[in-house]
Amino acid sequence: MKKYWSVFKISFVQEFVYKANFIMWRVRNVFQIFIVFFLWDSIFADPGRELFGYNRAQILTYVFGIIVVKAFVLSARAVDVAGEIADGRLTNYLLKPIGYFKYWLTRDLSSKALNFAFATVEVGILYFILRPPLFLQVSPIYVFAFLVAVALAILIFFHLLFITGLVPFWYPEAAWGAQFLFVWVFTEFLSGATFPLDILPIAIQKGLYLTPFPYLVFFPIQVYLGKLGAIEIVKGLGIMAAWIVFLRFTTNWLWHKGLRVYRAEGR
Amino acid sequence: MKKFMYYLRVWGIMSKNSFLMVASQKMVFLIFLIGKLIRFGLFAVFLIFLLKGSQSLAGYTVNQIIFFFLTFNLIDIIAQFLFREVYRFRPQIISGSFDLTLARPTNALFRSLMGGADIIDLVTIPPIIFAMVYVGAALNPSIIHVSLFIILLVNGFLIATAFHIAVLALGIITLEIDHTIMIYRDLVNMGRFPVDIYREPLRGILTYLIPVGLMVTVPAKALMGLASARGVILSFGVVAAAVFLSLKFWKLALRKYTSASS
Repeated sequence: MKKYWSVFKISFVQEFVYKANFIMWRVRNVFQIFIVFFLWDSIFADPGRELFGYNRAQILTYVFGIIVVKAFVLSARAVDVAGEIADGRLTNYLLKPIGYFKYWLTRDLSSKALNFAFATVEVGILYFILRPPLFLQVSPIYVFAFLVAVALAILIFFHLLFITGLVPFWYPEAAWGAQFLFVWVFTEFLSGATFPLDILPIAIQKGLYLTPFPYLVFFPIQVYLGKLGAIEIVKGLGIMAAWIVFLRFTTNWLWHKGLRVYRAEGR
Repeated sequence: MKKFMYYLRVWGIMSKNSFLMVASQKMVFLIFLIGKLIRFGLFAVFLIFLLKGSQSLAGYTVNQIIFFFLTFNLIDIIAQFLFREVYRFRPQIISGSFDLTLARPTNALFRSLMGGADIIDLVTIPPIIFAMVYVGAALNPSIIHVSLFIILLVNGFLIATAFHIAVLALGIITLEIDHTIMIYRDLVNMGRFPVDIYREPLRGILTYLIPVGLMVTVPAKALMGLASARGVILSFGVVAAAVFLSLKFWKLALRKYTSASS
């Protein structure tokens, strides 16, 4: 445990080595939020309007929720796993007395801690600039369920990212391509990080709920907004737990399969 | 004319090499192509369902909003197709291999900007043009409006070109390209919707300072017959200023190039 705490601290400090990189990444997040915010602000220009089951305060809270939940769930260092396998750097870790999976999970958590700190400041600044009406969840049960949902979402995303990162075991040149498809296309749209998924027809929503994506951003924010009943929340959290178990097994299986074909190319 | 043909031939050779490189990695080519198509499709689906529910956005109809979205995509994808080399410029500066570009008889800016056309983006251009013609026809534009739209589209593309030149110049001075180009992309992404949806002062900034509005909103509005004479004149003025300033900036950056690491 002590060595992973050291990894956490070193990884946290490392983020400050490339300050410009980190700040630019956060600036980009804010720009992306601007588009979504003003889009919904324009649609809900009439304060009394209700659409897709949201009022103005709820939809703008959803937009602000995206910043917070994304900082927790979607900010991850494990994107580097693919590159390490593709160019053979993985070998260095295999020789060290450290679990590769735990190592990257620790680095991910470290990155999330930093991103969350920045996201909190950004939300404060954006709130001050944009002055939106926000929905404040006062029920401690809902807030607790929201935090549990975020914690489970972190684990789901980590496993999904790690699995995508294992693709170079078989296709080293596809390292970046696989992540582009998974992170920038599927996760961005199907998780609810761009728009609330309940604007889509019920049939499409049902189909999406068969995948883990809606549980990454959409479901936690729905819990916060109090749009789900107790049974739905418990059911959702149960499905998330089931996904984690399934993805854990899949990750282990692929990791061991991958190690058998790993040739440490480039080393 | 002779010089133009010479550069056209050089561009053809460079593009062919770039295409061959991508074609040698069929799997990667396929993943990126599928990814781009899915991303475009998902955003279009989102837009359609959003507008189905809300009926309009900032006073624009569903067809008009889709036309704004398509116009944005066309300019964005053509810029990516032609200027993909900008995304690969940083290693040249860091390693000092930009010296080789400077030593060649072709223009260094031309090579840095257009040295590696992207076939993946090329493949996606025809379907977008087809969709634009289809959606645009439903807006019943006159010949004048279509002509104005095409002229302003060229203007929009020239603004995008000026942005890319500025990013290259900034890259020489600061050694930073990756984030600058992505911030440019984020800003341009704001043009997916008409700038009318943004509040002041953001709307003003997107119209005058970072002229995303002139790049996308004004051309699309021209086709709909909604562009003001002021917007059209401004578009020409901004294009001239943007291209002039970006070229000046490039020349300044070249003087600052230190050829470090070479």
